[in-house]
Amino acid sequence: MGGFVEALGDILTSESSYVSAVSFAAFLAFGAVGEWVAERAGTLNISIEGMLLAGAFAAAMGFDLTSSLLVSLLFGIGAALMVASVQAQMSHRLQADQFVVGLALNILVLGLAGFLDGELDPATRRAPTVTIPLLSDIPLVGRALFDQSWLLYLIYPLIPACWWLVYRTRWGLEARSVGENPQSADASGIHVNRRRRQAIYVAGITCGAGGTYLCLAVVGSFEDSIVGGRGFISIAAVIFGGWTLRGSIAGCVLFGTVVSFRLSLPALGYQINNQIVTSAPFLLTIAGMALFAKRVRAPDALSRPFVRGIR
Amino acid sequence: MQARTFDAAGGTEKDPPAAVRMVGVTKRFGAVVACNRVDFSLQRGRIHGLLGENGAGKSTLMKILIGLVTPDAGEIYVHGERRIILDPVEAATLGLGMVHQHFSLVDALSVWENVALGEPGRLDPRAVRARVGEISDHFGLDIDPYATVGDLPAALQQRVEIIKCLRRDPSVLIFDEPTSVLTPEESWQLFDSLRRVVTDEGRAVALVSHKLDEVLQATDTATIMRQGAVVERLVTAETDAAELARAMVGRPVALRSDGALRAAPRSGQRPIEHDEPVLTIEAAAVRVGEQRELDGLDLEVFAGEIVGVAGVEGNGQSALVDVLSSLTRLHSGAVRVNGRAVPTGKSGAMAEAGIAVIPADRHDSGIVLQMTVAENLLLVHPEQVSAKGLLDPGMMSEHAQRLIDEYEIQCEGPDSPMWSLSGGNQQRVVLARELSSRPLALIAAQPTRGLDVGAIEYTTGQIRRAASNGVGVLLVSSELEEILDLSDRIVVLSQGRTAGAMARDDVDMERLGLLMGGHHA
Repeated sequence: MGGFVEALGDILTSESSYVSAVSFAAFLAFGAVGEWVAERAGTLNISIEGMLLAGAFAAAMGFDLTSSLLVSLLFGIGAALMVASVQAQMSHRLQADQFVVGLALNILVLGLAGFLDGELDPATRRAPTVTIPLLSDIPLVGRALFDQSWLLYLIYPLIPACWWLVYRTRWGLEARSVGENPQSADASGIHVNRRRRQAIYVAGITCGAGGTYLCLAVVGSFEDSIVGGRGFISIAAVIFGGWTLRGSIAGCVLFGTVVSFRLSLPALGYQINNQIVTSAPFLLTIAGMALFAKRVRAPDALSRPFVRGIR
Repeated sequence: MQARTFDAAGGTEKDPPAAVRMVGVTKRFGAVVACNRVDFSLQRGRIHGLLGENGAGKSTLMKILIGLVTPDAGEIYVHGERRIILDPVEAATLGLGMVHQHFSLVDALSVWENVALGEPGRLDPRAVRARVGEISDHFGLDIDPYATVGDLPAALQQRVEIIKCLRRDPSVLIFDEPTSVLTPEESWQLFDSLRRVVTDEGRAVALVSHKLDEVLQATDTATIMRQGAVVERLVTAETDAAELARAMVGRPVALRSDGALRAAPRSGQRPIEHDEPVLTIEAAAVRVGEQRELDGLDLEVFAGEIVGVAGVEGNGQSALVDVLSSLTRLHSGAVRVNGRAVPTGKSGAMAEAGIAVIPADRHDSGIVLQMTVAENLLLVHPEQVSAKGLLDPGMMSEHAQRLIDEYEIQCEGPDSPMWSLSGGNQQRVVLARELSSRPLALIAAQPTRGLDVGAIEYTTGQIRRAASNGVGVLLVSSELEEILDLSDRIVVLSQGRTAGAMARDDVDMERLGLLMGGHHA
C-alpha cells in the first residue's frame, strides 16, 4: 500500500506522466465525442474501432504521399467516413443488425490495414509540436496540454462543437428525438434513419481526426495494432459517462490516465502487470455501471432499429 | 353509390371546395386490405366523425392523409387541388395536422423541444417558447414549456400534442382516438376547445373514434367504416346510437347500457357453487416505498362466479392484478388457489397454480408483437406443445390453428406476426391462450379497454362462458357499467382494501357510489 501511494505521488509530480495521460485521454476523446453523438441518435456504434484504425492508416498514407499534415488529416477523415458510411447504410438503410455490421467492419478494417501496410509501408514521422506561449508554461500540465502537435488541439474545439450540435441546433434536437422515440420523431416528420446515418458520419469525422492524431502525433508510424481495442474503451467512456458529454469526457480522462500508467509507471521505475492496467477501464466501467445504474438513462431507442409502421 | 349521394349533398360542385377530399383511396398490407376504394371528405367549419371498429381502416386512412402511409391507389385533394403527400412535413405545409392516438411526443425532451420537433429552419428556443405561451393562452390550454413531457400526466401530454399541432396553424386537424387516455371530464374540455377551433377559425376537424357517444355529441357529420370500406355517411343530428352501432358492426348490437339492464336477472339463472373458494386472498399488503398499494385486502372468488372489483382507479386494482400475475411480491398476507398457498412474486407461479390473466395493457404484458400468433398462443404454457423441453412444430401449429378456428382470430395463419393483427384480434389471442389452459381462476383486468363494440361483445361473451364452465372470474374494471353487466358479486376497493361487497341482485347504486367514494356504508 505504501508503495502504491508513493507511486501515485511520483506520477502526480512527473511532467512526462501528464504528457502520456493527456495523449491517451485525447485519443479516447476523439472516439468518444463521435460515439456520443451516434449513440444519442440511437446507434450503439461499435465500428468506432475500425473507423479509428482506418483513419490512422489513411493518415499515414496521406503523409507518405504529400508530407502534409492537413492532407493527411483529410485522408484520415475520408477513410473513417468510408467505414462510417458502410455502417450507416447497412444498419440504417438496409436494416442489417448494427452489431454484426460493426463487428464485421472492425475485422475487415484490421485485416485490410495490416495487408495494405505490408504492401505499401507508408513512410511517416512524428509531427512537430506547436508551442502555445504562456499556457505551455503552466507547471506540470502545461507541456502536456499546450506544447503538442496541432492535431491534439483539434479536440479542444471539437468537444464544445459536438455539445452545441446536439443541444443547440435543430439537427441535434431531431437526432436526440430519434434516439429516444423514433416512432414519435417519424410522426413529427423527421427522417429517422437519415438522422441516424448522419450521426454516424459525425462519428466518422471525429474518428478520422482521432486516427490521424494517434498515427502522426502520438506514435509517429503506422502498425495494425496501433488502436488496439481502445475504440471499445471510447464506447465504455460514453456508457460510463451516462450518455452525457461531460461524463463521457470525464470517462476518457479517467480511462486515459489509468491506461497511461502502463507507460508512466515503468518509466518511473515501478513494476506493473500490463494486463491489469489494460483491463482497468473496463473494470471501472462495470463498477461505474453498478454504482450509477439507477441514475443514468441510456437513450430509449439505443441500438433498436427503426422500421416504419411497427410500434 | 352512397358516396355519390353524399357528394351531391355535400355540394362539392357549387360550394367552395372541401378542405380535404380523398377519392378511391386503397391500401393493402400483405393480403389484408386496410382501405378499399375509400371516398372521404372534410368541410371547413365542421367536425366530422370517422367511426369504425378497431381494424376498420380509420387510422390507416388518416395516416395516408398525413403522409405516414403511402396509398396503393387513389387521389387526395386539399382545398380543391390534387396533392401527393409523401411525408408529414409536406402534409404540414399543406395545412394538415394530426393529433396522434399514441402521442408523437418524446418523453425525454421538454415541452418546448417537443413542440419544435419536425419544424424546418433554425432552432430558436425563445421564439418557440413564446409561441407555446401564445397558443396556450388563445385556446385555453395551460402548460409549462419547460416541463419534461415524460413527467406529465396523459391529459397534459395530449395538450402538448395539440399545441404542437396548432403551432403550424393547420386548416385541417385530425384527432385519432383523442379521448382514449382522458377522463370523461377532460374529454368534454377537449371537445369544448375543439368546437372553438372549428367555429371561431373555420378549420376542418376529423374526429377518429370508436365511441358512439363521442361521435354523437361532438360531431356535425360522420363517416362510418367497416373492414376497410365506407359503409355509411350521415348527419349526426339525424341519427342515434343504435343506428351508428348497427352501421359500425353490421348487425344489431346490444349496447352496454341495455346489457346492464338485461344482465340483472341472469345471476339467478345459473347455479353458483358456494362450497370452497378457488381463489383466496388473505390480508394482502403491498408497499411501494411509503405508499400502501394494498393494505390488508381480503377477497374470495368461488368457482363459476364472476366477482367484479369496482373502485376509483388507483385504489389498489393494479397492485392486485400485479400480484395475481406474479409481477409483485406480497409484503404480508397470502394468495391461495384451491386452498393451497401460492408463492407471490415468483415468475410463473400463479400461472402454474391455475390462474389465467388478461392483462390491462395488451402490448405491455399480454403479447409479444414481434413473435408469431402461434408462438404467442403458447407463451404461458409451452408444455402443451412440447416434449422433453423441445417444441414440437407440428403440435404447435395444430394447437394454434385449433385456437384460431375456435376463437375466430382473423389472421393470415399461425405464422403471421402478431403486429399484423388488429387490436380486437390481438385480444382474442390473449383470450384464447389464457382460456385454453383450463384455468381455475381468470383475472380479467380492463378486458374491454380500447376495444370496439363488436370486440367488447365477444370478450364479455367469452368471460361469461368461462364462468359458466366453472372458472372463478375476477373482473377488475374501471367501467362500472361493465362490472354491473357481468358480475355476480361486486367488491369495492378503496385505499388498498375491500370497502364493501354486495351481490349483483341487491346492488344499491347509492351505497356503491358511497363505497367507491371512500365512505363506509
